[in-house]
Amino acid sequence: MSWETAVERAINNNVPRVYKILREHPYILDLAKELREAKLKVLENLEYYVDKTLDSVKRAGGHGYLASSPEEAREIVEKIVGKGKTVVMGKSMVAYEAGIREFLIRQGNEVWETDLGEFLIQLANQPPSHIIAPAIHLTKEEVEKLLKQKIGGVHEGSTHEELVTMVRQFLREKFVKADVGITGANAVASDTGTIALIENEGNIRFSSISPTVHIAITGVDKIVPTLADATKEVLVQSAFAGLYPPTYVNFTSGPSSTADIEMKRISPAHGPKEFHLILLDNGRIKASKDPVLREALLCIRCGRCHLHCPVYRALGVKWGDPPFTGPMGAMWSYVVYNDPKPAMYCAHSGNCKEVCPMRINIPRVLEYIKWKGNRQKA
Amino acid sequence: MNDLKTLRDVLVENLERNMMPFPVDKGICTGWTRDLPRSGDTIIYTSCMYQLAPLFPMFNRFLPYLSALRSLTPLASKLKPSEAQLNRAYNVLRKISNALTAKGIKLAYLYDDEPYSGALLLELGFLDEFQEYAKKVYGRFKERGVKRIITVDPHTHNALARYSEFFSFNVEVVNYIELVEPREGDANVYTIHDSCLYTRFLNLREKFREKIKIKLVEDDMVTGKDTSFCCGGPLAPVDFKASEEVAKARAKSLSRLSKNLLVQCPICYVTLSPHFEGEVKDVAEVIL
Ligand code: SF4
Repeated sequence: MSWETAVERAINNNVPRVYKILREHPYILDLAKELREAKLKVLENLEYYVDKTLDSVKRAGGHGYLASSPEEAREIVEKIVGKGKTVVMGKSMVAYEAGIREFLIRQGNEVWETDLGEFLIQLANQPPSHIIAPAIHLTKEEVEKLLKQKIGGVHEGSTHEELVTMVRQFLREKFVKADVGITGANAVASDTGTIALIENEGNIRFSSISPTVHIAITGVDKIVPTLADATKEVLVQSAFAGLYPPTYVNFTSGPSSTADIEMKRISPAHGPKEFHLILLDNGRIKASKDPVLREALLCIRCGRCHLHCPVYRALGVKWGDPPFTGPMGAMWSYVVYNDPKPAMYCAHSGNCKEVCPMRINIPRVLEYIKWKGNRQKA
Repeated sequence: MNDLKTLRDVLVENLERNMMPFPVDKGICTGWTRDLPRSGDTIIYTSCMYQLAPLFPMFNRFLPYLSALRSLTPLASKLKPSEAQLNRAYNVLRKISNALTAKGIKLAYLYDDEPYSGALLLELGFLDEFQEYAKKVYGRFKERGVKRIITVDPHTHNALARYSEFFSFNVEVVNYIELVEPREGDANVYTIHDSCLYTRFLNLREKFREKIKIKLVEDDMVTGKDTSFCCGGPLAPVDFKASEEVAKARAKSLSRLSKNLLVQCPICYVTLSPHFEGEVKDVAEVIL
């Protein structure tokens, strides 16, 4: 079955659901408005907020790092993880951007993506085709074939449920024996150093709780002023992704600890002993100083613009530099890879700006990137 | 992706030479009227879009070879739309012009002196070149005493609406749909492909709906404000194949709604027509 069929199904399943969620929970739109303001406040003074966040992480008992480039991020991860470990990963676009999984495997670690979509594209050795549904391009039949080949135990004509059960069984053992869990972060509260993560599968909760070391890696653009703002971000993101209410919202502030014996605080308790937050810059701080590109940094990765974009519908993963596809990906390909080509494919249909929760005028940002790219070439 | 640098050079060269994006026979642009005065406060501004649009698919197919075959570009002036294509374009323009006149608007037309708007430069992100060229266009309008411009297509309207972001531009710009009185009904049932620019940038979607007094077959997932997709046309100068992919998908979803399709833009017309299973008509052909 083709990309056309897969994306058509996704659009027809998701778009009406988002409209319904927004109709039933109109407060989401107010939260989105407030979130835009809060994020702008950070982006106007990003370096200050990075420092504040790193201090807060330290106060909460964690370790915070600013990585200016993917190489630096990998070096930090290498020092924490070492070699010969089992690593489970919750979905993180920034980890993909920094090439963490491949790097850790090369270093002699066993690394498993645990988000179902990410796991499938890891098995298929393919790039993600959508930010919240990375395996959107695979049909059920293709998934069945893939799992049969790579992990076995799948029979022809399996149901969706049977396929998910197989993956669950396979990954359960990895979760239990994992030494390190690596996740992203949907938002980082600068006042408390708390990271917020939303999910539906439970894999992120597992990855961030079960191993003794938890590393969260995310972009500096994910910083928001307060924990209250971080709450808004997860609610808005999940609603606009069509997954509201989210099954799980995880807040993590430092490592696990207990003071239940003689009130002496020790770490770990049931969760990790160490918590590390790596904030990746990779062009973001520079972009935050440009009033047009700053808008791109407001993106909360809900993936809604993709499903309203005619070019994404036609080109899919071929449009953008992975993991950044679709309209947001055309902006982000320039922000982090300095690649203006994806922006050239914007046909300024304008649907994206109508549906973006952050009210980013995406076609205008892309027009600006076209201009920058044309000037580079000239 | 096409070589946009060469395309830019060709565009700029031609715009400098005759204020048209390609070497064209201006007679094609002006052949639709002889009746309108050459000067006046208010002009109908075609930017030669309806007249040249039938040639765009051919130009777009040629663009991948532009850098190798650049010396052939002057031959473009020998290209002509077919008689049927020209008649159709002229018919649209005459209908609009007559409808405006019927509303008591004293309309002028710049004939050979009518410049291209620069829309293509803007849409391809050649903003420096757009700014420079647009100032020249404004100079032409001022020279000819133009105070009010009536546009007939979305790309031109959008380009003019953006002029004031680049320099001070003091001419009123209005779209024909805001002024005309449509005739009553049409027995056919149509579906509609909205222009992206009119709908999501120029706030004219509802104006079109208000003036189209015929029954439209709509579907929230196909013709909604946020869900109605682009025809693919603006992508053609960048990558014709990608543009065709978008056009096919769009035409397919519209074909499911009706065998009669209304469009509002000459580019949508040429882009969707080869893929739409049925008849495509411009709104002006049907309501005026
Ligand atoms: S650009 Fe807007 S709609 Fe697209 S993923 Fe980001 S927040 Fe969502």
